[in-house]
Amino acid sequence: MHTLAAADPAPSVFAGGSNVIALIVLLLEFGMLRQAMRRDQIRLYAVQSAAISVLAIIVAAARNLPDLYALAFCSAAIKVVVVPVVVRRLLPRPGQQGAGDEIAGSGALSVASTVLVAIVVAAFGFFAIGTLPIRSPILPITALAIAFAVVLVAFVLMILRRDVVSQAIGFFSLENGVSLAALVVAATMPLIFEVVFLFDLLVAVVVFGLLIRVHHGRAESLSTSELTSLRG
Amino acid sequence: MIIVLVFLLVAPVIAALVALVAPARACNVVTAVAGAGSFAAVIVLIPTAAHHDVTLGSYLRVDALSVVFLLATGFLYAAVAVYLIGYLRVDRNSPAELRHARRLQAGLNIFAWSMLAAPMMSSLALLWVAIEVTTVVSALLVALEGTAGAAEAAWKYVLIASAGLGIALLGTIFAYYAGEQILGQSYDLTFVPLLHAAAHLPRTPVRLAFVLAVLGFGTKVGFFPVHTWLPDAHSEAPAPVSALLSGSLLAVSFYAILRYYQVAQAALGSGFPRAVLLTFGVASLLFAALSLLDQRDLKRLFAYSSVEHMGILAIGVSFGAPVALIGVLLHVLAHAAAKGNAFMGAGVMLRKFAVKHVSGVKGGLDLLPWSGPLLLVTVLALSAMPPFGIFRSEFMIVAGGFESSRDIFAAILVVLVTVAFLGIAATTNAMLLGPASDSTGPTTISRGEPSAWMVAPVLAGLVVLLVLGLHPPAHLTELLARGAAELRGPA
Amino acid sequence: MTLPIPLIQALQVATIAIGAPLVSGVISRVEARLQGRRGPRILQPYYDLAKLVRKEALAPEGASWVFLAAPLVACAAYLTVPLLIPVLTTYGLPLGYMGDILGGGFILSLASFVVAVAALETGSPYAQMGASRAKTFAAITEPVVLFVVFTVALLTGTDLPYVLAATVRSSAGQLVRPAHLLAAAALFMVILYETGRIPVETHTGTNEFGMIEEARPFEHSGPYFALLKWGSWMKQLILYTILVNVFVAPWGLAATARPADVGLAIVTLLAKAAGIGIVVAVIDNSFAKLRLFKITEFVAGAFLLAVLGVFTLYLGGG
Repeated sequence: MHTLAAADPAPSVFAGGSNVIALIVLLLEFGMLRQAMRRDQIRLYAVQSAAISVLAIIVAAARNLPDLYALAFCSAAIKVVVVPVVVRRLLPRPGQQGAGDEIAGSGALSVASTVLVAIVVAAFGFFAIGTLPIRSPILPITALAIAFAVVLVAFVLMILRRDVVSQAIGFFSLENGVSLAALVVAATMPLIFEVVFLFDLLVAVVVFGLLIRVHHGRAESLSTSELTSLRG
Repeated sequence: MIIVLVFLLVAPVIAALVALVAPARACNVVTAVAGAGSFAAVIVLIPTAAHHDVTLGSYLRVDALSVVFLLATGFLYAAVAVYLIGYLRVDRNSPAELRHARRLQAGLNIFAWSMLAAPMMSSLALLWVAIEVTTVVSALLVALEGTAGAAEAAWKYVLIASAGLGIALLGTIFAYYAGEQILGQSYDLTFVPLLHAAAHLPRTPVRLAFVLAVLGFGTKVGFFPVHTWLPDAHSEAPAPVSALLSGSLLAVSFYAILRYYQVAQAALGSGFPRAVLLTFGVASLLFAALSLLDQRDLKRLFAYSSVEHMGILAIGVSFGAPVALIGVLLHVLAHAAAKGNAFMGAGVMLRKFAVKHVSGVKGGLDLLPWSGPLLLVTVLALSAMPPFGIFRSEFMIVAGGFESSRDIFAAILVVLVTVAFLGIAATTNAMLLGPASDSTGPTTISRGEPSAWMVAPVLAGLVVLLVLGLHPPAHLTELLARGAAELRGPA
Repeated sequence: MTLPIPLIQALQVATIAIGAPLVSGVISRVEARLQGRRGPRILQPYYDLAKLVRKEALAPEGASWVFLAAPLVACAAYLTVPLLIPVLTTYGLPLGYMGDILGGGFILSLASFVVAVAALETGSPYAQMGASRAKTFAAITEPVVLFVVFTVALLTGTDLPYVLAATVRSSAGQLVRPAHLLAAAALFMVILYETGRIPVETHTGTNEFGMIEEARPFEHSGPYFALLKWGSWMKQLILYTILVNVFVAPWGLAATARPADVGLAIVTLLAKAAGIGIVVAVIDNSFAKLRLFKITEFVAGAFLLAVLGVFTLYLGGG
């Protein structure tokens, strides 16, 4: 009666902890999926980026990869501070035309259906990757599977949302999913490339920003429901 | 040779900077010089690259395959730079138009620069970065017109292409993972060591990297079903931008896929990568051929024709026979010249008639003494009529298909290309050959060309198409053969 | 000296039964303090019970015996569940093996069912509305609970609550397993729903638009109403106990049958439950109530957590 054994040995604290952070990234992606307020969506993106930086620091400490500290710092500076500030600047200010639509355009499906679709898609990503014979000495393979799930849910976000800011946030968070995957399988990649990737993201953000401005200037709203003239 | 590489990386940037500040005439001259200079520089590279690779530092490397793609970009850059002189002369009146012209000129230079840089990168990571730069620059150029359609097309383009490149980045990361297993930590993703080690690479990550790369970069190539941005962006962008997008950008993205194809082929054998490319190729070709049948808009028509030709490229690579691979590389060049011509010709047409829809254009042959016939000939060349380059390249691809006993797919290719030809011919026929004075609306357009600068590059393009079709220069033949040999791998 | 095992078993039930109003009193007090009020005495729930028991019992016209039996059945059910879960001891007590986690769930559902049936007996619109709403949302919370149980079963190879608690205690790695944390989080959200807390329901209000849990005993009075109230407090403490003693913090339980250990375990349990209660009170004061139609989204969130928990577990890394 006193010997109650576990059926399944627990993973190490490091593995469990990093999986939890990866899962938090995925949950935040789901949060963005159902979040209706644009500003909150941007905030969720910042938190998600911060979670990835934290994971990078944990990996750096546990696996003795000092480069990752620098990467975590750069990534936090760009993705937690600069990108959200830039995107928030792009939102119409109170009193400006279009400021009324604080609430992002409704999705193509209801929230509950969206979440269900995303669960199915995430499950696909999970099991598709989880069964592959890929092992990393850095992080458990679960984190990679979660990263793919994040990427796929980001696609759902981009496809089902009907406003430009949400779609842009969807793309940025897709990039977060890729960063997470990179932490698992490519943590030892030379720092210079990782930083170049980050700056590339920054350039993309500026371009997205300019185009959001263009769109807002023309349509006086951030909804994409007007963007249907080009077909065939 | 090294000075040539440096020139290719520096000249367009200088031209772009000049275009932002200098007076209009100087801008035109500098851009034209940078374009023509780049084309000349690539030509200088041909004999060398036909025999050995050129490297500069650890991150610049040019082999025969890259030079083929540099050649396509170089030629279009030169052609568009000249075309731009005529294209911009018409609207440099108000300050707003002047600003628009400056932006267009500077943007085109940077766009050409990024596309020249991409095939020179020796590292897969930097290749990805260069292609991402082409995306952001070209997205801004697409939006430049400032119309509602342009804003919509640019948004779709940047969103879809960026998402695709996100997938391609995943592919890059898996390529690194595969390489790291053999080449050790801090492997810098350079291409040559990866190819040498390919036989020992773990198979699953390579497979994953290849599929992700085909899907990701394929978004920019315009493979079905991830082509959806392509017709919009091509039809809404200014004509010179469309020419570069279609003739050069799609090819450069295809170049990235070819790099992954080389690695995948060496690591996995040719079966899997060829099957993947064949699938995407046939799907794209089929979709494009059917779309072409019912297309009323001139630039969209050419855009779908680009999807068609990219499908042909993918099918050609999947055949794998040497003659098919040479055909593919020749096709890249011929398609660049033909599609550049087509969009530049369409630009003249639209400027002349101030419309975008084909129904507004009647009797182009009568009203445009040069551009009308030139466009007609270009369309014929584009539909693989002899004696032009595309006929030769498609012929080689089909021959390669039979050689590698892929008869069915070679036959499918021929049938679909014919269907596409029907679609293109029906539309352009109405536009060019109909009577000039139609009952619909007042047609007070007088006979004449908008600008001689807009005719010269089209003429040059036709000359190139003829040369490629009738008798490619010996050095070029050598280059294509070596490029095909690189693609085929050592086995 | 050791206590006899049957006595400990009885103490489990007694702790829940007697401690439940206390925990509820603590929560009301904390809530009041957070809102800047002095609040009721901590022992106020006991006084409420005493007052209600002395009052006259009335039943609506036409209500059958079911109406009067329901509070008794519900109370009995709530008194049975503590036998199945580790309330005080780390070692399983004899009756602890008569039902697994699903068995406990069934008994809790039975209690909820009879209360709903009694509410339908009354013919009162409010009580019926509360009952029908409760059953509607329960249709979504049930799968969540099932997934939580699956997670537990996959983690431990059995679905006995005692074993899970032992597994969690066995290493720190078990505690930070994503599957375990996700299941615990999902369970916590279900508990918020089941105990009628923000963001699902205003606990203290009588605003009919939002009422679910609070509406059901509307027509009961006197000792019957006391039983129902007491029952809902017991249910709250039972759920808290499952959360802390099985999932989040299965420490401080008695490993022996010595009176000092058992006594300490009683105090620890009540303290831990009060801790959870304080968290709930803070949530109560920090968030707004969701619109009724948004509650499905809240429960869908719990469902998502539970499903992800099972996913990660199947990948072997959870």
